[in-house]
Amino acid sequence: MTINAPLPDADVIIIGCGPAGMTAAVELAEAGRSVIVLDMQPTPGGQIFRNLEANLCDTSLAGQSLLAALGPAYRAGADLIQRFKACSSIDYRPQTTVWEVRPDGTVGWLQGMNAGYVRGRQVLLAHGAMERPVPFPGWTLPGVMTAGAVQTLLKAGHLKPRGNIVLAGTGPLLLLLANQLHQLGVKPALVGRTDRLSDNVRAARHLRPDGLIPLVKGLGWLGRLKLAGVKSVTGLENLAAHGAQSVESVSFTVGGKRRTLPCDLLIVHDGIVPAIDIPNAAGLRLQWDGPNASWRPATTPDGLGASTLPPEMSAEPCVLRITGDARKIGGADAAMAHGRVAAQAILAALDHGAGPSAEALRAVGKALSVRPFLDAAFPPGLAQALPDDDTIVCRCEELTAGDLRAKIRSGFRNMDALRGETRCGMGPCQGRSCMVTAARLLQDETRAADCPPTFRGRPPIRPIPLGAVAALSGLDPRATIRLTLEDKPENASEDTVDAPAE
Amino acid sequence: MPRQNETALIIGAGLQGCSIALFLARAGWNVTLLDKNVAGRHASSVNAGGLRTLMRDWREYPLSELAMEHWRHLDRLIGAKAAESCEVRLGVGQIAVALDEAEMSWTLGRVQEMERRGLGAEELLSATEVRKMLPGLTDQALGGLVSRGDGHANPAASTRAFRQAAMAAGAKIVENCRVLGLERLPGGGWSITASSGQYEAGVLVNCAGAWGAEVAAMAGQTLPLKVVAPSMIVTARTQPFLEPVVIGIDRPLSFKQSAVGSLVIGGGILGKPCADHDTSFTVMDRMPEGAAATLEAFPALAHVPVLRTWTGLEGATPDGIPVIGPGDGTPDLWHVFGFCGHGFQLSPAVGDVVGRSLVSGTVDPLLAPFSGRRFNAGDAA
Repeated sequence: MTINAPLPDADVIIIGCGPAGMTAAVELAEAGRSVIVLDMQPTPGGQIFRNLEANLCDTSLAGQSLLAALGPAYRAGADLIQRFKACSSIDYRPQTTVWEVRPDGTVGWLQGMNAGYVRGRQVLLAHGAMERPVPFPGWTLPGVMTAGAVQTLLKAGHLKPRGNIVLAGTGPLLLLLANQLHQLGVKPALVGRTDRLSDNVRAARHLRPDGLIPLVKGLGWLGRLKLAGVKSVTGLENLAAHGAQSVESVSFTVGGKRRTLPCDLLIVHDGIVPAIDIPNAAGLRLQWDGPNASWRPATTPDGLGASTLPPEMSAEPCVLRITGDARKIGGADAAMAHGRVAAQAILAALDHGAGPSAEALRAVGKALSVRPFLDAAFPPGLAQALPDDDTIVCRCEELTAGDLRAKIRSGFRNMDALRGETRCGMGPCQGRSCMVTAARLLQDETRAADCPPTFRGRPPIRPIPLGAVAALSGLDPRATIRLTLEDKPENASEDTVDAPAE
Repeated sequence: MPRQNETALIIGAGLQGCSIALFLARAGWNVTLLDKNVAGRHASSVNAGGLRTLMRDWREYPLSELAMEHWRHLDRLIGAKAAESCEVRLGVGQIAVALDEAEMSWTLGRVQEMERRGLGAEELLSATEVRKMLPGLTDQALGGLVSRGDGHANPAASTRAFRQAAMAAGAKIVENCRVLGLERLPGGGWSITASSGQYEAGVLVNCAGAWGAEVAAMAGQTLPLKVVAPSMIVTARTQPFLEPVVIGIDRPLSFKQSAVGSLVIGGGILGKPCADHDTSFTVMDRMPEGAAATLEAFPALAHVPVLRTWTGLEGATPDGIPVIGPGDGTPDLWHVFGFCGHGFQLSPAVGDVVGRSLVSGTVDPLLAPFSGRRFNAGDAA
């Protein structure tokens, strides 16, 4: 008896409900395709439009001032969210965590205590970006947060920080957040930028006409901060947070001089990088992006990934596409533009249609044209120098850079050997916050020309309760044929592995 | 004894190969290990590290007891510092739990058989006793079987320690060296063509693990071996509550709490082997059975998060015990592979007994059940 492959649950499964995922979902649903959208958050919007619907409906004074502070770029998502919700044919599954994606279109999901697999004929990874992990002395102290986390608390928790607030790092989000805080009546004690005026000037040669609007926006943020009397420095180096139970002060070097400031909340941000946990565990090819000191998936312009798995584990052709910031950092406009391209490519793969239109591809190029300027103006700063020996790199297992360096020197000279020996990357984060630093330490210690490949990713890439594993639904009947190594002595005749090798 | 017999080539520098190399080198032999990857890359380093005589197959029992002697006195074998690095924890015990009548009746049978054979290491536990030893165990448990002297060790560290001990005794290890062909020399001994050159020795030992049958085939010998990928589930750290290792009888249950508090769940659930690519994949579709068996025994663990899974490549024979002994008509070619997922504990005894047999020129009677010739008669496919 042959067991057939399970039937697909939808034409397309989209992972992530931010600008890219929503745009693609709407495009595909309007073309009559069945779409399942899996997203970790309770409402559509992704990181940028987080909780937007609810905040738009909040008519209280506090609600209105929050909306005003978050600005027009936040409200700009309202139309897309409305269109997304109006598509009754989209099977939208919020509060759902994805813990495995396979090259054949199988997606492992978790919702509360329930978990299982769904299958799409095509899969679109629109799971977004993450903030660049920045290990520095004291970064694990309570009171040290990332800019993204503070924005989450503003948008969804309606929480405002108090006390002495220091922002440190680089990138548009840092300046945007400083402005938003100021507008909410929270005046930061200092905005310390790692970028220098020289970076900004050098970056000017990358400016394209389409990049002028973001530039004007950025200059506006800077101007408003200056008017408000928010202190600001550039060229910040050697950041450290100090405190017994939580952060009490920060120190840093500017212009060769060490400074210390009292601090209750240190907000750090060193730019955003594509989240690679899903593509890595799916066995998709990643490439090292030197200037951005991060990996990103290797894709065709329409987002198609490339499998690195042995032929018996890959699907032919690959049905995994990557879009939005998960593919290439570009922000919401670029994500929406590419979400459309990816959707058109998926329609072509399902129908053998025409594929992405020239106009849709041009829109991606236009939206991304400001990136070379931003990359040059805000190079990685806090994470630029490798951490010193006493700084924790793997916070799940509390391993310092010194611990890792010692093991690398004693012969653990590839990522998997290093992980196996030290447990770096084996904790709940599964390497999300330590992997890039471990790889750079390995490259540095071995004097390798290139950054080594990532840790091997295996499912689950996010924690699943044991009870949910026990009751997984949607299993592939071809995979569940009982195969176990029997240890019970007298039962040799019942062994299920007793087929002799040919 | 002719001089050429005092040189050995061992294919596969895993734990078994290194253990044999250690004993041979100590006996004054000239030993070279060849490994297609790096020493200990596969099953040797990524198994669960169980040190268990509990529920051992009777045919393995005497070898397993000898191995336990070596583990107990590992400092004598490889030195105090190296022994300490192996994190040997004996005496925490391994317990088989009987969760239904059939398992309980098997347990009673096992104890009777144990007495009949004059072996005394496994004790019957009543329902009350087993629940007292295993907090959180389901009320459904009817009893169990304990081997109090059992425990576990760190497999990667142990593999490293045996490798270093073998090298200290004079064995040479050539890594990233793939065997391409074997040739028996006229008058005895073997010549190996490998990716890194030509090697010759009086005795050849095939310790190629999951690739053991492939190496045997290069010498024209057919041995039945299935390449499997046993896999494990690891949870987040929990409060320490469990010292002994718990195993199932008819259920795919096997788990322990690691020193850092995480639960390591095995039970023989198999992933997907890709031996040609030196790798294997965990298959989550097969994990529910192991997770369900764990929860049936310990219902309170339902909310413990699973963080990761792992797997490695292993060779399994049709009858569940390894091949250890000379090949058919080749006293100078030994096969030592197919440990079916329980070779870690046996390894010091395998080195001891195989080494002793090669040095003396007579196969030790302890190895009688493991001859590959058992597959020649009738039932082999």
